[in-house]
Order: sequence, then C-alpha cells, then structure tokens
Amino acid sequence: MSITNKWDWEIGKNVTTWNWNLKEIWAYRHLLINLVKRDFTLNYQQTILGPLWSLLQPVFTLITYVIVFRNLVGLSVGTLPPILFYFSGIVLWNFFSESFTGTSNTFKEHFYLFSKVYFPRIIMPVSVVCTHFLRCLLQLALLILLVLYYWLFRNINIHFGLNLLGVPLSILLVGSLGLGVGLIISLITVKYRDIANMVSLGIRLLMFMTPVIYPLASVRPSLKWIVEANPLTVYFELFRFSLFGEGTVSYLNLLVSTLITLGILLTALLVFNKKSNSLLDIV
Amino acid sequence: MSEVILQVQDLSKMYQLGVIGSGSLKRDLQNWWSTKILKKENPFFQIPSDDVLNTSKDFIWALNEVSFEVKQGEAWGIIGSNGSGKSTLLKIISRIINPTKGYVRGKGKVSSLLEVGTGFNPEFTGRQNIYISGYILGMSKQEIKKKFDEIVDFSGVEKFLDTPVKRYSSGMYMRLAFAVAAHLEPDILIVDEVLAVGDVDFQKKCMGKMQEVSNNNGRTILFVSHNLQAVGNLCNKALWLNKGKASAIGETSGVINTYLTSLKNDPKQQWTAPDLAPGNSQIRIKKASAKPQGETSGTLITVNSPIQLDFEFWCFLDNCSLNVNVMLFTEKRECVFNLGTPSITAEKGILALTCIIPKNLLNNSGYSLSLVVLKNNNFNVCEFTDCISFEVEDVREGMYYYGEWPGIIRPQITSYLYVKDTVENEALNKAKVP
Repeated sequence: MSITNKWDWEIGKNVTTWNWNLKEIWAYRHLLINLVKRDFTLNYQQTILGPLWSLLQPVFTLITYVIVFRNLVGLSVGTLPPILFYFSGIVLWNFFSESFTGTSNTFKEHFYLFSKVYFPRIIMPVSVVCTHFLRCLLQLALLILLVLYYWLFRNINIHFGLNLLGVPLSILLVGSLGLGVGLIISLITVKYRDIANMVSLGIRLLMFMTPVIYPLASVRPSLKWIVEANPLTVYFELFRFSLFGEGTVSYLNLLVSTLITLGILLTALLVFNKKSNSLLDIV
Repeated sequence: MSEVILQVQDLSKMYQLGVIGSGSLKRDLQNWWSTKILKKENPFFQIPSDDVLNTSKDFIWALNEVSFEVKQGEAWGIIGSNGSGKSTLLKIISRIINPTKGYVRGKGKVSSLLEVGTGFNPEFTGRQNIYISGYILGMSKQEIKKKFDEIVDFSGVEKFLDTPVKRYSSGMYMRLAFAVAAHLEPDILIVDEVLAVGDVDFQKKCMGKMQEVSNNNGRTILFVSHNLQAVGNLCNKALWLNKGKASAIGETSGVINTYLTSLKNDPKQQWTAPDLAPGNSQIRIKKASAKPQGETSGTLITVNSPIQLDFEFWCFLDNCSLNVNVMLFTEKRECVFNLGTPSITAEKGILALTCIIPKNLLNNSGYSLSLVVLKNNNFNVCEFTDCISFEVEDVREGMYYYGEWPGIIRPQITSYLYVKDTVENEALNKAKVP
C-alpha cells in the first residue's frame, strides 16, 4: 500500500501554495457564520441603540462632510444633491476601509487563538469582511431610502434598470480589493511592525486619492491620472453611475481595475495559505 | 485494533534566537538578493550542517529527530521538564506550526486542547460560547446540537446558560470550557496541561472523563503533563523529551522511573543566556541549585544537613512588587511545604533568592521544587514546575534499623520515655501475664 493511501494527512516542512483544501474550509462554514454573527452582535452588546450605530456613524460623517466640504470649502459635487453624493461615497468607502483595516489586523488580533488551535486561518479575515458587508448592506438600505425620497419628492431623475447591476458589482469588487490588500498587509505586519503604523495613515491619504468627496470629472485633467491609477476610483464612479447616472466610467478602466483586483486577491489568498503557519513562529 | 494511527518521523523544529524585527527588513532584503537573484547560499540562514547548529548559539532545536508511533486506542503521556519541547511537539501535531524537518502522518480527525476555553469570548453567554468554542475546535453543527444537553449537564451551569461568561466564577468558566472540549469526538485527542487549573473536584472529573474516553471509546490520547501521577494513571505508553530529544519511549512506569532517576542526579540547573532559559518575557530563570549549607555544590545532601536553595532570575520587570512561592514536593507529588517570600520591589536585572531548609526536617527521599513568581502578591507572572530535584540521603547514627524510614518529614522531635513509678502497683501484680 502506498503512503498516500495509508495516511489521511501528513504534516511536513513545506506547505505547497496550491493545497487549498476547499472541503476542509466548507466543513468550517458554521464557524464562519458564527463568527460573523459574533462580530456583528459584539459591537452592540450593552449599547442602547444597538445596530443603529452602524447607521449613525455614516450619518454623522455625512453631516460633517456636507458642512465642511460643501458649505465651508465649497467643493463641487456635480449636479447631484450633495447628500446623495457624499452618502454614496461614504457607504462604499466605509466598506473598503473597514474591511481592509480589519483584515490587516488578522494576526495581531488572533495570534493567541492561532497559537492554540488549528482551523483554516482564512476563516478569520473572511469573517471580518462578511461582517462589514452586512453593515454595508444596512447602510445601503438607508442610501436607497434617501434615493427614493429624492426621486419621489425632489424629482431627481433616477433610471431603474439593468444599470443597477453596477451596485452589487462595485460593492463586490471593493470588498475583494479590501480583503486582498488587507491579507497581504496582515502578513507583512507580522514581521515588520512599522507597516501597521503606516496603514492608518495610508488609508486616510488613500481616501483623498479616491473620488469619495469629489467626482472624478472635477479633477484637474493634468492630475487625473493619479486618481485614475487607483483601482478603487472606477468602482466609486461605477457605483454612482449605476445609482444616479452620473460618473465617468470606461469599460477599459473597469476591466483593468477588475483584473488588478482579482490578481491581488488571488495572490493574497495563495500567499496567506502558504505563510500563515510559518508566520506563527515569528509573531 | 492495534493499527498505527499516528506516525512521527524524525520530527525536528528549530528556532532562531535573538531579536527578530529590528533591522530585519534590511537583512531580509540582502538575504533575498543573494539567494534569489545571485543564487548564492543564504548568508544568514543555513539549516543543514549539524556541527554549526550544535555549536552556534543563535539556533535552538526545540525538537530534535523525535520519532514514535502511536497505535489506535493507546494513551500516551509526554513528560519532560520545562522547555524540553513538549508543547512544540503538540503544536506540530495539532498543525499549528510546521516542523523544520521530518513529518507527522496520521489517520482520522485530530483535536487539540492546548488550553481550556479556546475561543471563549467573555461577552457572550454560555450557550453562545458552547457553539463558538465547539466550532473552533472543529465540531460540526449537528455534533454540537446532539451533544448540547450532555455538555450542559456535565458542566453543571444550566442556570447560567444565558448569562455572559464574564460574570461566571472562574470555576464555572472552567467547567463549561472543559465540558465542551470533553465532548469532542476526534480519533486522536491532544491534551496539554489542562489539569493544571481548577480545583481538586474538577481535576478528578477531567481525569475521569479522559479515562472514560480512552478506555471505552477506543480513542487515542496524547497527554502532556507535569503531573506524573496523572500520566501514570491515565497512560499506558509514555515519551520522555529531554532538551528536544526523545530520551525514553515505552511503557509508562519504565519511562517515569527513568525520568525521575535523571532528575535526582541534577541538583543544579543553570542557563547561560536568557533566550535559552525557561520562563517568559517578564521573568526567566537563570540558576537553581540545592546543596548542603556551607558546603560546595555537589556534596551529598543528608537528612541532618541544612539545605541551601539558591535561585537566580533574569527579571525584565521594572519597579513592581514581586515575591516568590517555593513549593517542595515529594516523589509522590505531595506538597511538603509552600514558602512565600516577603515581597520586594523588583528592578530590571538579576534577582537572587536563597532559602535554607533547616536540618533534620526532610526524610530521605527524592524531592522536587517548583517556583511561582507573583506580582503584587496575587498576579501569577511565571511558574517553574520541577525546576530542580534533589535527593536527601539517609544518615542514621546509633540506630540498628536499616529499613525504609516512613514519613514525609523526619524532624528531631523531642521525646521522653522514662520509668515514671517503681512503686509496686496492686493492679500490676494481679494482672496475669502469660
């Protein structure tokens, strides 16, 4: 009888990059569901307002943005009502930045658990993204209510049709990018702690390089390439374009950004799988 | 029945000592440049040559070519002093870390209990924690549902099932956590020092459950413990790890005896560098020795010599109140005494502790010492179990009895035996002496 038939499993020096055990991950699906539930409820344990907090936070941000960027600074947001413009940006940005920050802390937060029990490590970052996805859905619902209000009472022109498919697509791609980059950062921060400090700074800078508080169309043409080089840009434009019919989206940009995103995610997953065990030695 | 279910072959794990982190980006880049681009040998990291490894102080083999085979239904005890590689071995078998060399092969599902309450979150209720912990330990939803009542029964916390576990007493918490773990149904169960916590009742319950699991269900258990009594009771096979190497493998009683004999001959332990010494980031032990007071070390300790115990620690804590508990155990793991030193304000540096056990106190037997370093009188900073052992030799003067002297202690108790009265007593005379 050959060795491979005789034994169910083998632990050796090398973990190959390709040995994703999907069956095993599937076996842990209930853990994923429970973790998402846990993260979601944990934030609201012993609070009075409970899940409302995931709506209040973006609403307060919205009020700040409207006051500061619209009324004090006077940034142009195109022809859209500023509230819709800012809120759509905030919802998508929150999803990205929280998924990214959450996954980049995977090792820092779960090191202790990782050193005590084995389970597919990828479950942890994925559960973080899922939790923020749920929150994003809540906020999206509020955004849709706002859109309906403007459509019914303020007569802004909304086109309901296939264009709305851009909404889930952009959310999905933004989440994938957040997960991918977050995983890579989480691996690097284990060894080089400096990166962790740069992450919070970097994410703030990145926000200004993404059309969250301004439309791409209003960027000075000579500097446009900087903003367009950011793969997030096209998702934000797509998101607004699908909802309000306003934004600059080209198929080429979308294709390139999607390929970059999927490339990053795939690389991140493979490297994460290969490295997650050996990294425990040096945390 | 006796089919090999787990095979460990030449398993080795090497750790790199020293500070990892500062300046390592530069080193790693140089490293990457020379290995991947110039295709040279790695200037910083060369595994193979044994000579280099044995002489170099930058590496340590936490495990060194350990091989053994476990058959189905066997209960294995893994024993050894602190830092001998027991936990490393369990972590590799549990798939938490990868070995540097060698491999582990096995059949069936492995569950490991490296601590009590893995995955417990204090904010959640008992019910929620049963599920979370169960999932993390690898149980399926059906399994937990099926076992839920049994788990609750075993833990005895049904009244508090919907209370967040942060409000549990530590005993309740332990019971619930162990209850979840005890209802795992893996083919191979790996247990690390779970019994070190909890009260006597709880420990009994744990032992009972583990015995039941291994006897009735034919499950395989790997059990790491300092408690030789427990290993002796539970396990039929044992492995003694000594500085990463397997020093003895076989029947439990034989291995335990070999282990104890080796402890006796080593009344002095010394570590040259903090990295090599057992302990943690706050305290590491530097030296532990036992000798007769006023004699050079290595002199025979006898029942009528005062015993001087010397300890030194590397202390990385600054400006906090520390004291040390010294516990002396007999070979049968009975605690002879527990001595608490006065507290001092510790500073970074080397702490020294000297205790004198008065002469004519201990009986002739083997003893081992455990230390617990406490911060602010209650916070447990570090434990050193069995850090040294010594043998007290028998000296008898004016005595013609050569048998074993019973008792744990052998103090010189003042006693008088004398003739109280020589006046003839009527009762004595009347009594018939056969």
